[in-house]
Amino acid sequence: MSAIIVDNISKKFRIPHEKKNTVFQNIVGLIKRQFDYEEFWALKDVSFEVKKGEALGIIGRNGSGKSTLLKILAMVLYPNSGSVSLNGKVASFLELGVGFQPELTAKENVYIYSSILGLSRKQVDKVYDDIFDFAELKKFETMKLKNFSSGMNLRLAFSTAINATPDTFLIDEVFAVGDEAFQKKCRDKITQFKAEGKTIVFVSHALDTVKALCQRTILLNEGRIVTMGDTEKVINDYLAMLQEK
Amino acid sequence: MWQYRELIRNLTVVDLKNRYQNTSLGFFWSLLSPFLLAMVLYFIFRHLFSSEENFAINLVVGIMSWRFFANGTSSSLGAIVGKPSLVTKVYIPRQILVLSNVLANLVSSLLEFIVLLPILFVLLGHLPATVLLFPVIHLVYFWFIFGAGLLLSSLFVYFRDLNQIWEVLISVLFFCSPIVYPLSIIPDYIMPYYLLNPITQFMGMYRNLMVAGDLPSLYSVAVVIGFAIAAYLVGSLVFSKLQRRFAEEIG
Repeated sequence: MSAIIVDNISKKFRIPHEKKNTVFQNIVGLIKRQFDYEEFWALKDVSFEVKKGEALGIIGRNGSGKSTLLKILAMVLYPNSGSVSLNGKVASFLELGVGFQPELTAKENVYIYSSILGLSRKQVDKVYDDIFDFAELKKFETMKLKNFSSGMNLRLAFSTAINATPDTFLIDEVFAVGDEAFQKKCRDKITQFKAEGKTIVFVSHALDTVKALCQRTILLNEGRIVTMGDTEKVINDYLAMLQEK
Repeated sequence: MWQYRELIRNLTVVDLKNRYQNTSLGFFWSLLSPFLLAMVLYFIFRHLFSSEENFAINLVVGIMSWRFFANGTSSSLGAIVGKPSLVTKVYIPRQILVLSNVLANLVSSLLEFIVLLPILFVLLGHLPATVLLFPVIHLVYFWFIFGAGLLLSSLFVYFRDLNQIWEVLISVLFFCSPIVYPLSIIPDYIMPYYLLNPITQFMGMYRNLMVAGDLPSLYSVAVVIGFAIAAYLVGSLVFSKLQRRFAEEIG
C-alpha cells in the first residue's frame, strides 16, 4: 500500500527580468513588447513512491528542488506536468504556527491552528489539556499571543501541530528550531510517530537526523533525482558530490 | 468545503474580532459612519428631491445595501495577499479565505440592517410584511458579492494596483446607482443601460421589500439571481485558474 505516489512531475518557475505586478506595468510591457522572463526547471521528471509507514528523507544542496518538491506534495504548488496521488490525511509542516493571530489569546489560537490542520472543535476539546501540558504553557492560556516570547510561540505551535492526527507528515526543517532540549523533544516525537506507523517525508540538511529517522532517502540535484535508496549509501553519495565541487 | 466549516467559522470570527477589537466602541463606530453619511447626504439632497416619497428612508436603505457591496469587495481584494502563510505554507481550499472575508462582511451588514429596522418603523409608521423576505434577497446578494470577491482577490495577486483602480471604479459605481437620487430622474433613453448595473437591481429589490412593501416581480427576481450566478461562475472560474500559481506569486 502506497501513501504517496509521485509520477514523473516537473515544475517550471518563471523568473521575470523585471517583475511586473501592476496593471500599469503590464500595459507598458505590452506596448514595449517585453515578455521577457527566464524559465527555470526546479524539478524535472521526478518519480518515486512512499509506502505506508515509511520514513523518506530528501536531501540535496540549496536550490536543488527539495522544498519545491515538498510544497508540491503539500499541494501548495502545482506541478507543470505529472501527477501526485496521496492516500490518507496529510499534514504539512512547512512552517509552524501558520495562521497564528497575535491579537488573540493562546487558547483561541490553538483552536484556529487546529482547524487549519483539519481538526474539529470537539477533537481539539479532547486534546486541549495535552497541548498545553506538552507546551508547558498552562498558566498563559488566556494571554494574547503578541505578548508571548518567540520560544513560547514555538512551543505552542509545535504542541498543537503534533496533536493533529494525520496519516502522513510532510516536514520541512521546521523542527530544527528552538534550544537543544526542545529539539530533542521534537525528535523524540517524530520517532514516536514513526513507531506508530505514520508515513513521514522529511526534508533536511541535518544528515544525522535523516540517518536516524529514514530508511530510504532521495538525493536531489538541479531538480533531478541523482540517487534513491538506502539512506547510508545516499548520504555517502551526497558527501562525495559535495567533495567534488 | 463542508469539512472545512470549522475553519471557515474560525476565520470569519478572527476577521470580525480584528475589525472590532481595535476600537473600544467596536461595532458602534462602524454603525456611526453609514448613518452620518446618510444624514449628510440627506441634508444636501433633500431640497432637490423633496417631492419624492420616503426619500430619507430610501436613502438609508440604499446606503446600507451599497455598503455591503463596497466593503465586501474592497476587503476581499486583500483576502489572499493578506494571508500569505495560509497560501504558501499549508493546503486549504483557497476559496475559504475569500468566503470567510465576505461572511464577516455579511455579519456586519446584517447587524446594520437590524439597527435599521426600528428606524424604518419610526419613519414609515409601520413595518411592511415583505421585510420577512429580506434574508432571501440578502443571501442572493451575498452570493453575488462572493463571486465578485473571488474575481477581485485572485486578480489582485497578479495586479497589485487593482485596489487603487477598484477604489476609482467603486466611486463611479456609487454615482451610477440610485442611492442619492431616485431612479425617476434617469432619462428614458439611458434607462436600459442604467439597469445593467447589478447594484441598481439589488437596491430596487431592497426598497421594494423594506420600504414600499411590494412583492418583487418574478422577472426582477430572475434578474438578481441571474447576476448572482453569473458573478459566482465567472469569479470561481477565474479564481480556480489563477490560484494554481498563487504560492509562487506571493511566496
